[in-house]
Amino acid sequence: MQIAKFLTASFRFASGNGEKLGILLVVLTLFGCSSAVTRVSIPVKVQSEIDITRYSNFAVLPFVSEKQVERNEKLPPEIGEEIASILRRGLARQKHFEVVSTPETTRLLTGETIEEDWLSDTKQLSELGDYFEVKAVIIGSFRFYADSRPRRYYGERYSVRRQRYVMDYQDYMQKTYLLSLRVIIVDVETEQIVWDESYRRSTAEAHTIGSFIFSQVGPQANTIRELGRRAVSEFTRQISPHYESEDRYLVN
Amino acid sequence: MLRYIQLASIAIIGCLILSGCAGSRDATQTEAYNRFAIKAAQAQLWNEAVFRWKQVINIDPEDSKAHNNLGVAYEALGNMDEAIASYQRAAELEPNNKYYRLNYRRCRIHLRRSGGNDTDVPQLEDEEELPSTE
Repeated sequence: MQIAKFLTASFRFASGNGEKLGILLVVLTLFGCSSAVTRVSIPVKVQSEIDITRYSNFAVLPFVSEKQVERNEKLPPEIGEEIASILRRGLARQKHFEVVSTPETTRLLTGETIEEDWLSDTKQLSELGDYFEVKAVIIGSFRFYADSRPRRYYGERYSVRRQRYVMDYQDYMQKTYLLSLRVIIVDVETEQIVWDESYRRSTAEAHTIGSFIFSQVGPQANTIRELGRRAVSEFTRQISPHYESEDRYLVN
Repeated sequence: MLRYIQLASIAIIGCLILSGCAGSRDATQTEAYNRFAIKAAQAQLWNEAVFRWKQVINIDPEDSKAHNNLGVAYEALGNMDEAIASYQRAAELEPNNKYYRLNYRRCRIHLRRSGGNDTDVPQLEDEEELPSTE
């Protein structure tokens, strides 16, 4: 009965509004033909960018500060060792790698001072790798500096006198810390550099004039540690097999 | 004359509705399975999704959507050979569907990057013209 009523109503509509019905049918047809798509993320395995069957155990030497860079901020001398220690911990968490521990590295390096010219001396690094009994040696350098620029922030504030929000601005100093970490992997057997990449990380702070002066004399070790952690985690991710998300399309 | 046209219109509409209802039982069932499987996939329950899409293919082996979606599920589970086979089947059934081709191409790229051998996997025609969303 209801179908009959529907058909009768449709017929009346059609007889009076032929053009409208045509348009409606076309629109409905187009809707019906289109296929809805759902985007989903699937985990895909990304292989290591080095041969992990060959480079399975490492010695991580303390990182050295790039001395020729005049802009390098004044930093405590143990920062290089701290970055190396963060890297050792990151690599030790990966099941594919074995790393010489921090106390063992300190013990074996007693009396040695890692200098910047070691980075290019692969023969010496290879000999050191033999001494550590590892397949590859990781060494690197870092450059840390801050860049300050005046900035202006535009916003709105409520004006009591005008009884409405008005455009306003505030001047401040933006201090950006930059860390450039260079990581080198040297094959102990062949004395070849198998990895040489730089990782740049930055962070910014907003200062008033007063806090800016204090920040200039304040300690920056925590900032470089945090930036170092981020840079090292990127390196560890690249040389370890890991999963990433990729989009695929499911058709409804 | 107008009366005959009206009657003929009603008859045609009635026939269309009835013919649509005749084959709709299986279609409704496969659509329900597909919807359920997509929800399972969104919740990362890929084994459940595979089971549902296999049921859809059992009912209608020519359902290209199910083959494509099954390919995605196999890929998520790491069964690359089965994923490639499913994507191929979907692309064979509906060669002009850009989503099937996109999934297939990404799967092949992933296979190549992960060190797998994709030389024996056939390329689709005009594969270079696919839109890239990466």
